[in-house]
Amino acid sequence: MSAEETTGSDGRKRVTFHFDRHEPGYRERFEDITHEMHAKCPIAWTETHGGHWVAAGNREVFELAARSAEYLSNDHDVKNQRRGYKGISIPSPPRARDSRGGFLEMDPPEQRHYRQALNPYLSPAAINRWIPWLDELVRACIDEKIESGSIDFVEDLANIVPAVFTLAMLGIPIKDWTIYCEPAHAVIYTPLTSPDIMRVGGLHMEMQAEIARQLAEVRANPRPGLINALVNADVLGEKQPDDEIRGVLGLLIGGGFDTTTALTAHAIEWLSENPEERARLSRERAELLDSATEEFLRYYTPAVGDGRTISADCAVAGVEFKEGERLWLSWAMANRDPAVFADPDQIDMGREGNRHASFGLGIHRCIGSNVARTVFKRMLLAVLDRMPDYVCDPEGAVHYETISVINGMRFLPATFTPGKRLGPGLAETLEILQKACDEQRLAEPVTVRKAAAALTPEGGAK
Amino acid sequence: MKVSVDQTRCQGHTLCAMKAPDIFELDDVDGHSTPVSPDVPAGEEKNVLSAVRSCPEQAITVEDAT
Repeated sequence: MSAEETTGSDGRKRVTFHFDRHEPGYRERFEDITHEMHAKCPIAWTETHGGHWVAAGNREVFELAARSAEYLSNDHDVKNQRRGYKGISIPSPPRARDSRGGFLEMDPPEQRHYRQALNPYLSPAAINRWIPWLDELVRACIDEKIESGSIDFVEDLANIVPAVFTLAMLGIPIKDWTIYCEPAHAVIYTPLTSPDIMRVGGLHMEMQAEIARQLAEVRANPRPGLINALVNADVLGEKQPDDEIRGVLGLLIGGGFDTTTALTAHAIEWLSENPEERARLSRERAELLDSATEEFLRYYTPAVGDGRTISADCAVAGVEFKEGERLWLSWAMANRDPAVFADPDQIDMGREGNRHASFGLGIHRCIGSNVARTVFKRMLLAVLDRMPDYVCDPEGAVHYETISVINGMRFLPATFTPGKRLGPGLAETLEILQKACDEQRLAEPVTVRKAAAALTPEGGAK
Repeated sequence: MKVSVDQTRCQGHTLCAMKAPDIFELDDVDGHSTPVSPDVPAGEEKNVLSAVRSCPEQAITVEDAT
């Protein structure tokens, strides 16, 4: 690793630094690389993956993402109709080269029209309506394991709840969550060089085919949910074709599944390693739950960064950029900048002034941020209440081999003092929750339905 | 103390409402924030300053921050 000041053929000075998130060992060296970039090159040029800029400093990431929208493009011009820009992945994964990743790979005004169509399903007020429903789902997941005294927090809880909830909001039958769950996670954690990549690609194609079937069904027989919103959305004055909507659905599933799982698993693991902090969080939850959630978001940064394309020559944070150059905005590194965060590599559950970038900055702020926070909090509170003495098994914990896209976990086994079941198991609960969705039209936007989901204390739909 | 939220900068991160729930109101439809009143009631100054420091978009401004 070395940072070197160079002058390009056009006379531009820049600091060049070898940066490759996809390299073996990057996960282990993340903190060292981050420290070095903050000290020497908060914005650097790297020759990897065709050459691109990397923004690591908090101020630099902020100036670019939040204050320079007119110079940055998210466009993924898959049909080469505009300027051929490559969207948000660096490098483009093979499965995504020919498909646009929804509105995260669009610029305004198109991007804004999509978000306006989906916001009333995903705002804080919209998500709060689901809390009784979510609590039932979490209860059932934990009931499946509570008598045994052992659980895998990823497989048995943190994979299931975000998946089932995302499908419910989309308007897809929730019993089908297993069709989506493995591919949604595996396309992220399987390195492009893995021998398993073909099998994972196959699962992902099956999931895409199922998404296409669901889209056709909603077009034929409208039912409430995000799919219906997309079918009816006016984008630039027009209804959108299936391929664009499928891209958005892929974005919502990709964003809704793996990220919240990653946050939850890491927080649960850390709280197992720090049982006094866990007891304090449980005891002082009224004061600490919000700030602890933001701190886990900052420290673990589930979605580690986003690519952009420079859309016009510009100078930002003292660096000259040229139109067409690629840029990696590292939310993960911005979140560890000592210029903004005291002791950035420590978790402080009561941290003040925690203006982290974990949901991105600027116009592309994660549209599911309220989903992520709420789902995380409901899962964590249930774990603290029902298995307060859990101990994770470090031998069985499996972190993603690559953290190039998502800083996630595959397995997190734990043991705890067994407890009593409180209601029906997962399969029966999914039927009850589906009935609640259908009868109460829970997946309507908050502009149509304001009331919270109604479920009886015994677990039935009212 | 007076407080305002720059609507061109607010992106609906909602941290202000966590820090000062009585001061900032989140829109039902998109979660974007507006102050309930430009005048900060006595006793809320600390929470409002905490919201200012927590805003990822740095969209909140206070005057007379004494």
